[in-house]
Amino acid sequence: MNAKASKTHVTCIEPAYYEAITEAIRKEAVQILKDETVVGVVGYLPGRRKGTASPALVTTAEEAGKLIFSPACVNNLSVYLTKAKKGVLKKGKVGIVAKGCDMRALAGLITESQLQREELFIIGVVCPGVYGFGAERTGTLTEANIARKCRECSVHLPDGADVAAGTHTELADLTPEEAEEMARIEAMPQAERWAFWKEHFSRCIRCMACRQVCPFCYCEQCLCDKNRPQAVESSPRPAGNMAWHLVRAMHLAGRCGGCAECERVCPMDIPLNLLNRRMAKELKELYDFEAGLNPVEKGPLNQYKEDDDQSFIK
Amino acid sequence: MSRIGVFVCHCGENISRTVDVEQVAKAAGEIPGVAYSCDYKYMCSDPGQTLLKKAVAEHKLDGVLVAACSPRMHEKTFRKAAEAAGLNPYLCEMANIREHCSWVHEDRGMATAKAKDIVKLMVERVRKGKSLAPITVPVTKRALVIGGGIAGIQAALDIADAGHKVVLVERDPSIGGHMAQLSETFPTLDCSQCIMTPKMVDVANHPNITLFTYSEIEKVEGYIGNFQVTVKHKARSVDEKKCTGCGVCMTKCPKKKIPNEFDQGHGMRPAIYVPFPQAVPNTPVIDRENCTMFQSGKCGVCAKVCGPGAVDYEQKDTFTVEDVGAIVVATGFKLYTIDRKPEGSPIQGYGEFGYGTIPDIIDGMTFERLASASGPTGGKILRPSDGKEPKQVVFIQCVGSRAREKGISYCSKVCCMYTAKHTMLYHHKVHDGQAYVFFMDARTPGKGYDEFWRRAVEEEEAVYIRGMVSRMYQRGDKIVVMGSDIQVGTQVEIEADLVVLATAVQPQDGADLLAQKLGISYDKYNFYSEAHAKLKPVECATAGIYLAGACQGPKDIPDTVSQASAAAAKVMTLFAKDQLERDPVVAKVNEKYCVGCFACKKVCAYGAIEEKEIRDRQGNLVKKVAYVNPGVCGGCGTCQATCPSKSIELDGYTDEQIMAMIEAL
Amino acid sequence: MHAETKQHDFEPKIVAFVCTWCTYAGADLAGTSRMQYPSNVRVLKFPCTGRIDPVFILRAFQKGADGVLVSGCHPGDCHYMAGNFHARRRFAAFRALLSFVGVDLNRLQFSWVSAAEGGKWVDVVTELTERVRTMGPMPEFKELEHEEQWSTFAGASADKVLNSPELKEAYDSIG
Repeated sequence: MNAKASKTHVTCIEPAYYEAITEAIRKEAVQILKDETVVGVVGYLPGRRKGTASPALVTTAEEAGKLIFSPACVNNLSVYLTKAKKGVLKKGKVGIVAKGCDMRALAGLITESQLQREELFIIGVVCPGVYGFGAERTGTLTEANIARKCRECSVHLPDGADVAAGTHTELADLTPEEAEEMARIEAMPQAERWAFWKEHFSRCIRCMACRQVCPFCYCEQCLCDKNRPQAVESSPRPAGNMAWHLVRAMHLAGRCGGCAECERVCPMDIPLNLLNRRMAKELKELYDFEAGLNPVEKGPLNQYKEDDDQSFIK
Repeated sequence: MSRIGVFVCHCGENISRTVDVEQVAKAAGEIPGVAYSCDYKYMCSDPGQTLLKKAVAEHKLDGVLVAACSPRMHEKTFRKAAEAAGLNPYLCEMANIREHCSWVHEDRGMATAKAKDIVKLMVERVRKGKSLAPITVPVTKRALVIGGGIAGIQAALDIADAGHKVVLVERDPSIGGHMAQLSETFPTLDCSQCIMTPKMVDVANHPNITLFTYSEIEKVEGYIGNFQVTVKHKARSVDEKKCTGCGVCMTKCPKKKIPNEFDQGHGMRPAIYVPFPQAVPNTPVIDRENCTMFQSGKCGVCAKVCGPGAVDYEQKDTFTVEDVGAIVVATGFKLYTIDRKPEGSPIQGYGEFGYGTIPDIIDGMTFERLASASGPTGGKILRPSDGKEPKQVVFIQCVGSRAREKGISYCSKVCCMYTAKHTMLYHHKVHDGQAYVFFMDARTPGKGYDEFWRRAVEEEEAVYIRGMVSRMYQRGDKIVVMGSDIQVGTQVEIEADLVVLATAVQPQDGADLLAQKLGISYDKYNFYSEAHAKLKPVECATAGIYLAGACQGPKDIPDTVSQASAAAAKVMTLFAKDQLERDPVVAKVNEKYCVGCFACKKVCAYGAIEEKEIRDRQGNLVKKVAYVNPGVCGGCGTCQATCPSKSIELDGYTDEQIMAMIEAL
Repeated sequence: MHAETKQHDFEPKIVAFVCTWCTYAGADLAGTSRMQYPSNVRVLKFPCTGRIDPVFILRAFQKGADGVLVSGCHPGDCHYMAGNFHARRRFAAFRALLSFVGVDLNRLQFSWVSAAEGGKWVDVVTELTERVRTMGPMPEFKELEHEEQWSTFAGASADKVLNSPELKEAYDSIG
């Protein structure tokens, strides 16, 4: 597959494009299961309702033949490789279907010793984008139903994957809504910014879905669940909510791969990815760090340079 | 419920003058969990400590807070007392209501309120404190001494004489330092080299001393008792093992007109050289920058004439790693040699003095070389420009020193005495000459010092003028010195043949870089900081590193030797035990919750964190977690702030303690 | 005899997180030099700025601090070699986050104060105290502490949250 050969800009992406990816994934998954390269493949199966997809671990060639890829494949599957009780890795090498944003998470997890590259067979998807939350699921991806994060995607190509499925295609002329929203908030007076976030965070019900879905929230005990000492109030009250989201943004700074799963699963529609994007922007500006597709030795907040900016220090 | 005792100290009147100590004690007594509180005039005194011990027993206290001075002052004192009373010393803390309160605030009401708050915070710290047991680590009984001047030599000899191995590292080709350059020494006027060179030879011959000259410290790792120091041995281009020190190479070297650093650039040396005839080791080095062979590839005379074949143009810098248990830093000083303000330096120059442009304006060390029998003039006082004997010499004290507006506010300590010595040496050698001295004050504390100074003034006819020099310039072959005499209240103008500046004593170049390698602190001038100005004058804040000589601040020879011997004694104290007890403020891993992301390992500057495998009974790998080597951990806590789940925790500064303190704000 | 300092309407609560080797010692030096500065600051000692977790700053604001100071050794002077370098990056990021959520960074000061800089300690503390004094109390986090989440329903934003007729009905029935 030569994904880099051409790049096409279109106004809509037809189901046929996704079907081609589906075929490629199935072929690869069946092959690696047959020749026992892997013990299982984490991918997507069709959901019960039409037009949906659900994450699945397939272990036979037969099941692998049912894997799909569609704009409904929103989940970041890397989370299934790390969270304590879902440790499929114990049994051997695992294949995983990964979009560019998911691959950034995989790279981060390798950087943080949670995964080893040798344990993985990455079936990379040349992903043109997925559905946004609540968008109309017509089978065709357009400017109208693409996810917000995909509008600014810079990782359509899964460089570093073992194989790549798909040919490079992008929707043309997407407005960077997230960047615009971030700029809008930054331009607000300080008190308004506070009011904006206070309103959002006050709605938080502390269901912890954001934590549950995040590939980087793999701690066995979250700081925010600790009670000796209780650093962050655990009941859903405004003070604790603010602290929780600030602590989470801080813990993800320099690690988050931008899959925006936290924002997708949030039942209260808190724009969580904005916080993560803001931190990523800061770390890019200060230390020229960007979460990439390949593992690095140390994240930006685990290293330093002697001449780092200190204009804010007296 | 805890049973904490709070003891509020008056510190004579130092605290009670601005803080209502009775009220502080009363308020402390009302904090839940405080079982006893009182105030006392001097807690650190013997009766004060007895009071504390008695209270611990009588009130069954399980934690103690002494509200007094800075813990940097008396934490050890009170922890010892608490220990004597049967408490774990780490359950005793201090609330700093003197340096951070009574001494910096005048308003009694506000100061008292602040003192109460400080006590309240610290009570929480005590409440959440844990008993800690000291960590023992083995001690490598081998010392490193950095710098081969009189300080380093004295320290090395003392440690070696006590039976311990010593590695002495010197940057220059020979040991000896500045003392080897001096002519005669105050206040006895005995010849510096006569007392110095035997010590140098002792170093070379001592079975316990390994001497590395022309070598520098590259890297320092480890901690007290267990340092690994990488030493860079600069290429001498002469094989030390083969060289017999016959000196033929030096006499045959065609390039002989290189200014000799040892003579402050006033004598000449060849490209292959020893800095001075009594150098130890007596092995030459090739100055590659000035050697024809290295610069153009043609010559090779020294190799041809060398009988044992010791000259090696191919020699490279080599490195060795030395395991040592203690380090003595004795890197000495340099003289202020600035004729104009260097770029980026806070120190202003003395452009108006013409130093560096008028050849007959020299510094004190150059005068030492002129007066030295082994110097470029054979001990005759002859001025650099034309070799004539100067008949009028002006000495100027405090050039650079005590000049806040110029950037150095400290006193260089040795100049008053050596200038007096210079006038005497001059008078002894040039009987018809006249010495003038411009001075601000004459500072002569020291045994026999004032008598010596008086002799210079009263018997040796030096004219002392109290006042400052404003300007100097060349007129014919004279230097016109313009200054003031504030005692007479008049302007003075002297036509001098030679001017000697007593320039300030400064730390060596690169002192800050070495400090950073060693992890020791230094002041704004780059002098190394002792752990305590009075009570720990030779220790660094970094355990296992000690200071000797002028690298810590300007010092004369007797002071330097005393400090060097003191540093040696400290090293011997450390070496007296096989095991060393370390402060147990180190990080520990909660293996149950550690998920092995190793962010802690990435930020640890000590390399104290290792990966540890957790296996089940069948030997299957369950997970990898972080493990802290308590002997290596420095106790900074960066790992804990970095750990997302706080599965690594610094004893003594736990999140629980800190959060409790914040809650009490 | 005690000089009476002039009374202010507002005495801000200033919390200083300092490292023990440089800034704590610098503050000690200010004491031994008998320098004077506002008494508002409460000092919490850490071994190193590297130990200081952003959570502590957050908690201090929540617990009523009107201004927070974080101070340690100058770059290159860290007793632990690199703790302050790590802290520098951590706090650069944390500042950006706080600013983004609308915290006025004038209330959060970072400084390097060495053991030799008693005067700088006085300057830094005085400047922060006086700046925060003119800014007035910090309302943001304190307000949050006293707010219940559901109280927002009674306010203007209730319509936003009760975005379905069923929810609205249920809420009204609590009444």
